[in-house]
Parts: sequence; C-alpha cells; structure tokens
Amino acid sequence: MKYFTYIFRNARRNPVRSVLTIASTGICMFLMMLLLSFFANKNEVTDGSKIYNRIVTMNANGFAGMVPVGRIREIVAIDGVKAATPFQWYGGKYHDQVMPFAQFAVDADCIFDILDEFTVPPAQLADFKANKDGTVIGRRLASDWNLEVGDPLPLKGDIFPVDMNLTVRGIYDGPSNRDLRMCLFRFDYLDEALKRVTMSSSSGGSLATNSARASGNAGTIFIKCKTGNGMAGLCKKIDDLYHNSEYPTRTQTEEAFGKMFGEMLGDLKNAIYGIGVAVIVSLLFVAGNAMAMAMRERTSEVAVLKAIGFSKGLVLFLVLTEAILVAGFGGALGSLGCKFFCDVVDIGRYSGGFLPFFYVPWNIAIFGLVLSLFVGFASGYFPALFAANSSVINGLRKVV
Amino acid sequence: MGEISSIILRNVHKEYHRDEFVIPVLADLDLSVAEGEYLALMGPSGSGKTTLLNLAAGLDRATKGEVIVHGQDLGHLSEAEITRWRANNVGFIFQTYNLIPVLTAFENVELPLLLTHLSRRKRRENVMTAMRIVGLHSREHHYPRQLSGGQEQRVAIARAIVTDPYLLVADEPTGDLDRTTAGEILDLLELLNREFQKTIVMVTHDPLAAARASRVLHLDKGRLVDEVIQETRVSAAS
Repeated sequence: MKYFTYIFRNARRNPVRSVLTIASTGICMFLMMLLLSFFANKNEVTDGSKIYNRIVTMNANGFAGMVPVGRIREIVAIDGVKAATPFQWYGGKYHDQVMPFAQFAVDADCIFDILDEFTVPPAQLADFKANKDGTVIGRRLASDWNLEVGDPLPLKGDIFPVDMNLTVRGIYDGPSNRDLRMCLFRFDYLDEALKRVTMSSSSGGSLATNSARASGNAGTIFIKCKTGNGMAGLCKKIDDLYHNSEYPTRTQTEEAFGKMFGEMLGDLKNAIYGIGVAVIVSLLFVAGNAMAMAMRERTSEVAVLKAIGFSKGLVLFLVLTEAILVAGFGGALGSLGCKFFCDVVDIGRYSGGFLPFFYVPWNIAIFGLVLSLFVGFASGYFPALFAANSSVINGLRKVV
Repeated sequence: MGEISSIILRNVHKEYHRDEFVIPVLADLDLSVAEGEYLALMGPSGSGKTTLLNLAAGLDRATKGEVIVHGQDLGHLSEAEITRWRANNVGFIFQTYNLIPVLTAFENVELPLLLTHLSRRKRRENVMTAMRIVGLHSREHHYPRQLSGGQEQRVAIARAIVTDPYLLVADEPTGDLDRTTAGEILDLLELLNREFQKTIVMVTHDPLAAARASRVLHLDKGRLVDEVIQETRVSAAS
C-alpha cells in the first residue's frame, strides 16, 4: 500500500493519454459485454424452456413448409399430450416499423394452458376468447408502447397479404426471464382472413398450396405434454404419424427448437467471437504502446529509483500495477458500466422479438473485468520488464 | 592520510564496449578516500570522473580491480545485494536533481524510506528531520514544479540523507544553479560533511565548488594526474 501514492500519481501523470487508454479499454469491454451477453441470454432463454414440458412440431423441410392445423386434433388425442396450439409467426408492421415485436397467431382456448408460465386475469382471458379480433400482449410490450386493455393494435401484413386489426383484450405477466413482449392473437382470425385472400382472384390463389402462409396451415404447432418423461417418445410418435404424408414433420423439444435458431447463427457466432478476440489483441497493442511511451519518458526516473535501491522486482511491480490499474479502471467502466446500462435501459425491446430480455450476467461482467486486468498485465509486462532491466548508468545519462 | 579508508580502489580498470569497439575509461587507478573526507573529482569531459563516482557508489562494476567501500568488496555482491547495499549506504545527488515530478517534496524524500520496514510515523519523523536539515520543512507539500532550482536540489539532498548513509555521491550538484544558489548548496554539503561526518565524493567542473572539498583529484584520460590537498578542509574533516 505504501507504493500506491506513487503508482496512482504516475497513472494520472499524463491525463490525456490515461483517459484515451481508459476510454479505448472501456469501449472495447462494453462491446464485448454486449456480444457475450447476447449469446448468454439466448442460451438462457433456450435452457429455461426445459422445465415447461413442451414440444414443437414443424414441417420436416423447415419453416417454409406447412403443418396442416387439422392435425392438432390427432396430436391431442395421443396419450401423454395435454394440449396443442398452432403457433404461427405473423411478423407484421406496427406504426410502420417492421417486426418491432413478436406476433403469433394461436388457439385462444388453450394457449395459456400451454404457455402456463404466463398468467392472464380470468376476465381478460374470457374477453380474449370471446372476441375474434382480440389479442393478449405481454406486460413489457404493453409498457414499451404504452398500451392498455381496450386499445387498438393494428398490424399491417408484411409476410402475409392480410392486415390484423386487433384490440388489446388482456395483458399477460410471467417470470422475468421469459418473453413478456409477445403479441398473441387468435389463429382463426388470421386463418379466415387468409381464406378470403386465397379465394380472391387478385391473389391468384397461389398461397393455397405452396406455403405455411396459406389458410389451414401453421408454421409450427406447440404441444404441452402431461409430464417431462417420454417427450422424446412423443416426438417420435408424432413424426411417425406423418412420416409418409404429403407434409412430413419434425418434432423436437422446445429447448432443441430454440437451439436450432442458435445453430442457424453457426458461423456468425464464431465470426463474432473471432472479432472479439481481434479487438482484445489490438487493445493490448494500444495499451502496450501507451505504457511503453510512458516508460520511455520516465527512463531517468526509473534509473533514479534503481540507484536509490529499488530492486528490479519492485520496479517491475510498480510499472505492472500501474498498467493494470489503468486497464482495470477502463475495463471496470466498460464491463460494469455495460451491466448497469443494460439493467437500466431495456435493450431487449429493440431486438424485434429475437430476445425477450437482455441483461449482462454478473459472471460475464466479472469476466470482462478479469479480461481487462489481463490486458493491463499483458500490455504492461514488456515495458515493465524493459524498465526493470534498464541500465541505471544509461538512464541517469539521459536528459529528458 | 592517517584516517580509516572509507573507499579503496585498487588497480581499477574500466572499459565500455560499443559494438566492436572497446573504449577504455579508467586505467590502473588506485585511490583511497578517508572516512568523513570531502573529495572533489575534476577533469575534462570524458576523463572518467563520473565513471569513478559510479564505481564508488556501486552503480557500475569495474572491468578489473577491486572496489572496496566501507569494508565491502563491491565486486563480490550480486545485483540484488548491491542494490540493497546502495539503499543502506549511499545517498545520491544529481546535477538535474532528478526528483519525481508527480510526488511532493515530502514524498520524494520519503522514497528511499519506503524500502525500509519503518512505520509511517517513523518515516514521517525521518523525512521531517532531513527536510529541516536542508531548510525546507515548510515546503513539504510542494511539488518540484513549485520549487526553485536551489530548493529542488535541497529536496534531492534531503532524499540523499534521509536514510543516514555514510557516503554521499554528488555529480555536478551545482551545475544547473546560479552562483548564489550554488554557494548555498555547497554550504549545505559542507555542513553534512562537517557536522554529520558524511563522506562526500563530488564530481564538478567548477573550481569554486572544488575549493570547498578537502581534497581535489584531477583526472585525464582515465588516470589521476594531479592531487591537491586543501589544508583548511582536511583539518575540518579530521
């Protein structure tokens, strides 16, 4: 501790250089935290769905293929299935913003038996079931757009050739790590609108047969199982049922379904990690250069310290601690700053439904801090070693 | 001289290697400095004065020969040992003061004491004693930039004496000062030699500064060429 005054004063000796080094470390760490937290949040959402005993059926050929909703009755009849609902991504515009939040067409009668982590006041749920144009939205979505029960929520078709003129009938709530930004509206409302378009001459009827966007079809079917045991068997049973049909299916647990999205990011994830590593390496050079410059300016001072009895090890310690202090301060600003920023500003709101929430987990913030300390150590190591091994005679001869 | 020798240099050679060139600096040098003596080294640039000073202070090693200071053969000490030895036994005074600009006068003087196990209170006592000796106890909170050249050199002298070393080495201590201030610094060195019995080895180009020493040695091309014993100062040292 007795050396702290010396270290601290040296760290702020050249304020411009120190501020620039701290800022570059801080900004890099801030961005690193966002990148790492993005993947961590995505995994948390996926892993968090394990406990809800849900499986998802989609067309074996992918999202472009259809799953006829008529099959829902057959699926519900299978032993072990509690309930099933079509779950159709709508992706419409709201206030001319493309897909500002997730919108799904679902079966109003059973959706909250399936997504049973969410709760809706009974009167609101009844209202939703009674009104075809009704929608139940998440608490966060209501807060984001200042929506209340009874407010209109018009969605303009972007993927679909139909608009949904919805009215908010209920607001659901649930655990904070689940998606509280969905807009759930009735599948029959969408289906009927699609039927009208499909049969009209202007659309040419092309939607009728080729895609999940046609009436009577859904992109996915969400299924609630009675227990968590035997979900793999149920998946196989459902897929076997339609194995030789015109629309073969692929059924998997909700967790696996979520991971499939992660896998779609595949190479992008590695590329982002690669960029992160490159940023850290370049940061190391920037901080290292700043420390090397600082040491060059202090050659004679280091020589004086060594002349009056400071050992090599002590000089090494002083310079390294200074480098770690500067980088650590920048890293703390970046990583902890990012954490507090994300706690205050709801970033999930801007992910267009991709992430229901966004926060920087403590373990990632601490990792960022440790990484900064490492950057400080690595950037200071060679200048410190140079200072420790520098010649006293040459240092004293140098006139700064 | 009949006194106990504080510094003994026997048959000392020193040469530097620059690429393929060997540059001899000191050759066949024998020297003895008595305890409490005030020695001035003079000579033209490149004559080996500073090299001799560095050898006596344990900053550099002789290529050949023995350097014995206060009974310790410096050639037998490892780098870590000689660093510790310097901390305990030698005080340094430089031409350009070499204070740490980010530390106050007090903190600059305290630096060598950080290497000891003294408590914070004891360190403060020692620093204030040294500051009083150099007459700057009221400037403890001033940074070097807030002090005049003479005051900076006084702080440097306080730093040199704060550990109570028996040897003070001064390389052109008045080289950057005006005549009046230089005189004050020389008075101070004289006081340290006379009142505190510090052995002082000083390199200088200034005959007036050298006149304060008890003995003046002239070097040229790495050899001692002249020796002047100044009687008044010798008696003071004795």
